[in-house]
Amino acid sequence: MSTVIVGLFNNVSAAAKAARDLQALSLPAGSVTTISAVPLPDGSVVTDPAPVRFPKIVIAGWFVGAAAGLGLTLATYMLYPLVTGGKTIVSVPPTLIITYEVAMLGALLATLFGGGRELGLLRFPPKTIHDPRIHDGKIALCARVEGDDQAGRAIDAMKDAGGIDVRPEEGEL
Amino acid sequence: MSAEAPRAGVDHLARTDEAALFERLSRSNLVTTWRWYLGVAAAGAVLLWGLIVFLYMAMTGMGVTGYNRPVFWGLYEASLVFWIGLSHSGTLISAILRLTHADWRAPVLRGAEAMTAFTLMVGGLIPIVHLGRNWRVYYALPYPSSRELWPNMRSPLMWDAMAITTYLLGSLTFLYVGMIPDLALLRDKSAGWRRKFYSALSLGFRGTHAQWRRYHVASTLFAILIIPIAVSVHSIVSWDFAMAKTPGWHSTIFAPYFVVGAIFSGIAGVVIVMAILRKVFRLESVLTPLHFDNLGKLLLTMTLLWGYFYFTEFLTVWYNRNPEEWEVFSSYAGPYLPLFLTMIVCNFVIPFPMLCLKRVRRSISLILVPACSIVIGMYAERLLIVVPSLARRNDPFIWASYFPTWVEFSVMAGAAAMFVLLYMLFAKFFPIMAISDIKERLFHATDRTIGGTTVESIAQVEGEEEARA
Repeated sequence: MSTVIVGLFNNVSAAAKAARDLQALSLPAGSVTTISAVPLPDGSVVTDPAPVRFPKIVIAGWFVGAAAGLGLTLATYMLYPLVTGGKTIVSVPPTLIITYEVAMLGALLATLFGGGRELGLLRFPPKTIHDPRIHDGKIALCARVEGDDQAGRAIDAMKDAGGIDVRPEEGEL
Repeated sequence: MSAEAPRAGVDHLARTDEAALFERLSRSNLVTTWRWYLGVAAAGAVLLWGLIVFLYMAMTGMGVTGYNRPVFWGLYEASLVFWIGLSHSGTLISAILRLTHADWRAPVLRGAEAMTAFTLMVGGLIPIVHLGRNWRVYYALPYPSSRELWPNMRSPLMWDAMAITTYLLGSLTFLYVGMIPDLALLRDKSAGWRRKFYSALSLGFRGTHAQWRRYHVASTLFAILIIPIAVSVHSIVSWDFAMAKTPGWHSTIFAPYFVVGAIFSGIAGVVIVMAILRKVFRLESVLTPLHFDNLGKLLLTMTLLWGYFYFTEFLTVWYNRNPEEWEVFSSYAGPYLPLFLTMIVCNFVIPFPMLCLKRVRRSISLILVPACSIVIGMYAERLLIVVPSLARRNDPFIWASYFPTWVEFSVMAGAAAMFVLLYMLFAKFFPIMAISDIKERLFHATDRTIGGTTVESIAQVEGEEEARA
């Protein structure tokens, strides 16, 4: 757990001003974020430096699903042959259909699990930073700091920008 | 939205009295009236009756239904196509509206997505109902067994099982992921067991900037993936019929025709569900005449498309006069005339002129007339697809008629009650309105003065990555 300075703001402009002032503290990338009830455009208050990676997992999931679908149909033809006219029927159109459906299922599941993982869902640390007042239209600006000096300067920056209930908290950001 | 404060610019998250907005949008979760209990009891009773009759049918055999040689597909299969068709528009519309950033979409999304999930659950059960010896349904599962039985992947019915399963899982996931921010909101606003319930379901979502950014990517990906799945599902349902060399079924146009018909009935279903939700949960300020106007325009487009497809199919058979096919089509003027007229009148004659009128599209009570008419017409259309082709099959010596017995009617009434019950329970425990989407739309809305008038303008967040670069 680390120390996080949390301040509530009534509007985007005030939160953006505070975020700009926090930049002067030279905090590491990703240590300042907002918590809000609606998504704020990237760059309006803070910028998320981490790339969104899970679409690659979705593509991989599609291929894994396609392989599973193809395997299921081909294995069926081989293990349970339907002998017609002395030969086993290996039918291409059904193979394509089953492959497509299972491939799409693979992509959906990869979106669910890959997205969920990157969203940080199903992670329940002992204490997380949160303020339910975001649902009343407030924006919570959070800055992870190290040392009392940095904490004090962050609190001052937030208060100067119009922050309400600015306070230090211990928890995961 | 009546409670909105004047909008000076895109700056404040709270455009309304947030408490009043939350109360209005969460009314279904916060207030439980005696009507809800009555509705649940009534739907539960009909469902119970359907289950009892189904058990009677399972124990007695399929002989208690109206099925007989040569008609072994009837009301159950027509209902299967009907329910799967109804499922089409919810998720599909929601996905298309999300991808196209249609700014009026927010209040429609959740109710439509829930409709898809529950109609699919009902529709997915019907193949098991009509199976006969229902307890052997597990034979359809591909697993190595001592019986040396393996599902035949060449059968369109197996494609159906795959497609419906994929679409059901996809629709449930789409619905659930769309709800996560609202479940987090309910978690923060509730106490006691509800707080624990919503805490578990919201999976720790807090609304950090990084979470929102990834959430949007995930939502977009789901929307992109679900559209081709939706199209494939109803194409495959059509191939259940079209892959057989049965007159009236074996047609190349069947897949797109089924997809169009499914979207057609689905939008009508969405209009009905939205009108009911608006009335029951007093959402007049959220689901405005504008939403019904836009849905009405979509419905009008689909009416024309459906008419075009049906005319095209009919015309080729008319000119070809292939005796086998003509016998099926000519029966529409004979024993199936009432069904045929119901279909044409309800699907085209009533909705087309009505939906051309803005006054009808913007009136909730009036737009329900074409919407209900379409649902009835499409059910008649499903019956017309399934029954005459079997009743007038190639060999005239085995031609026969089909009429469902009380058993089929009871089981299908139970299926309809199951849908109603699931929807009512969902509306009670889950946010039936996409609260976060509505708030996001309000956040992006601003008033813009043009000359002597003020119009609402929606700020679209596009090309964030490019802007950053």
